[in-house]
Amino acid sequence: MPLLEISNIDVSYGDVQVIYDLSLNVNEGEVVSIIGGNGAGKSSLLKTISGLLKPSAGRIRFQDEDVQGAAPEDIVERGLIHVPEGRRLFSLMSVRDNLEVGAHSRRARAHRERTLREVHAMFPRLLERSDQLAMTLSGGEQQMVAIGRGLMAMPRLLMLDEPSLGLAPILIKEIFRNVRKIAESGTTVLLVEQDVRHSLELSNRGYVLEHGRIAMEGSAKELMDNPHIKTAYLGI
Amino acid sequence: MTPSRFKKILLILAVVLAFGLPLVLRSPTYLHILIMLFLFAYMTTTWNLVGGFAGVLPLGHSVFVGIGAYTSTMLWLQWGISPWIGMIVGGLIAAAVGTLIGLPTLKMRGAYFALATMAFVEGIRVMVENIDKLGPFVLNGPRGLNIPPLPEGSLAAFQFASKEPYYYIILIMLLLVVGLTWRISRSKMGYLLMAGGEEPDAAQALGVNVTRYKVMAMALSSFLTALAGTFIAQLTLFIYPKSVLTLDLSFELAFIALIGGRGSIAGPILGALLLRPVSEFSRIYLSATLPGLHLIILGAILILVMLYQPRGLQEPITRFFDRLAARFGNGNGGTEEKA
Repeated sequence: MPLLEISNIDVSYGDVQVIYDLSLNVNEGEVVSIIGGNGAGKSSLLKTISGLLKPSAGRIRFQDEDVQGAAPEDIVERGLIHVPEGRRLFSLMSVRDNLEVGAHSRRARAHRERTLREVHAMFPRLLERSDQLAMTLSGGEQQMVAIGRGLMAMPRLLMLDEPSLGLAPILIKEIFRNVRKIAESGTTVLLVEQDVRHSLELSNRGYVLEHGRIAMEGSAKELMDNPHIKTAYLGI
Repeated sequence: MTPSRFKKILLILAVVLAFGLPLVLRSPTYLHILIMLFLFAYMTTTWNLVGGFAGVLPLGHSVFVGIGAYTSTMLWLQWGISPWIGMIVGGLIAAAVGTLIGLPTLKMRGAYFALATMAFVEGIRVMVENIDKLGPFVLNGPRGLNIPPLPEGSLAAFQFASKEPYYYIILIMLLLVVGLTWRISRSKMGYLLMAGGEEPDAAQALGVNVTRYKVMAMALSSFLTALAGTFIAQLTLFIYPKSVLTLDLSFELAFIALIGGRGSIAGPILGALLLRPVSEFSRIYLSATLPGLHLIILGAILILVMLYQPRGLQEPITRFFDRLAARFGNGNGGTEEKA
């Protein structure tokens, strides 16, 4: 039984439909990538899973329970955590306070101290910068705070929306190294990316999203070898 | 002496000065100007609880001033209930109204909340102007309500023969509300409010019920703002819809907070200290020829401040004091600290 099971969802902003009849699964312990160009519906899909958008049709099941239409705070309580695109830090709060807001849910609050130590072990830089305002950090450090803030919520499934966005190539490598570490520590990861090569390299499986529909799916290796993906996304 | 100690001493000096001022300043006119200054600092600080920390723009806070003023005055005139009790009743009614306005509109992004608050205060003003009697209560429509003055004053009736008691009451109210704001800004609620105000998506994605915290802030702010309404009624002993239920007052509070620096604790107070005199003098000297000029002046200042100091005037002023504190901390107190 998959950890997350999405069946035939439609999502619209007002009259404009952005996701059509989409189904996908994520199994426990997997890293799954969703790749696609701008406007393919990747971020809308994550927002729908985390309850920020409501699907007009279809089902979303997490740990065998329906979560479509549930309030975002209930979804977080179940351990389905969304790290939104573009970091979205609370810029006038210190790094530590940003992380603390991550542990807002009842389940995460109880283990806050321990999770904070784990996050600091993974991102030692964040311990050094604990008292600094989030707005004073570099782009790469801010992304670490955003991911760390998501980890503070004790995810069973962590959804990362374009963690490489706007970062220098060397930092992108570091971010993906960290995502791999998170996956190795046992957290299931759903990764949305435009950096197709890096994300498929660390994924088990992938889905290709085009114009709001799943255009292709398969193991990461299959996708990387696929001629369409090679020309459209990898540029070779 | 450490920089934080230096700042604490400055703060205590300012409070002592504020308490001692009426002993030196005997002119009722100047005392009245100071009372209005503190009153606006108070109302802007309570505005800031929702307009600053919750990251929305309330443009109709005078409705709560009006609710406070009318509630306590009607209870006093009708049934002789002390305005001190009426003040609390007015606050509770205002909190309920604030919650009702906030529940549907604070969920929405964009300008809906600001527009709803504006429309609401106008609607209430027009209603009050057209109602002479509401059940047992006399409202007197546009003519407003007169509180018969008691020449010798009375604490229970919230009336005093001189200006000094009003001065101390509003000063204490201001200090209490600033203290409360300071506590909230360092509490969990304050952090979650600020988080939801700045990045609502991120906060929601982390499980923060952003709307609930905003509504809580709105209720608290409405309650505290209404207390100022009762104070105004007791100070002027005459209220009418155009004095306490207007967009002018609502805008002035927003202007002062935005120019001073919304979301900070010093901002609303500094804004009132710097801008109230502008309003006061333009009203005294120019109101006959150019009524409403003070709002135009405030608007112009607001544009300049937003262009050059988008976080308000509190930022350069705070920076100046930090530097001063650092210099005193390292220069004079350096030896002391080494010892």
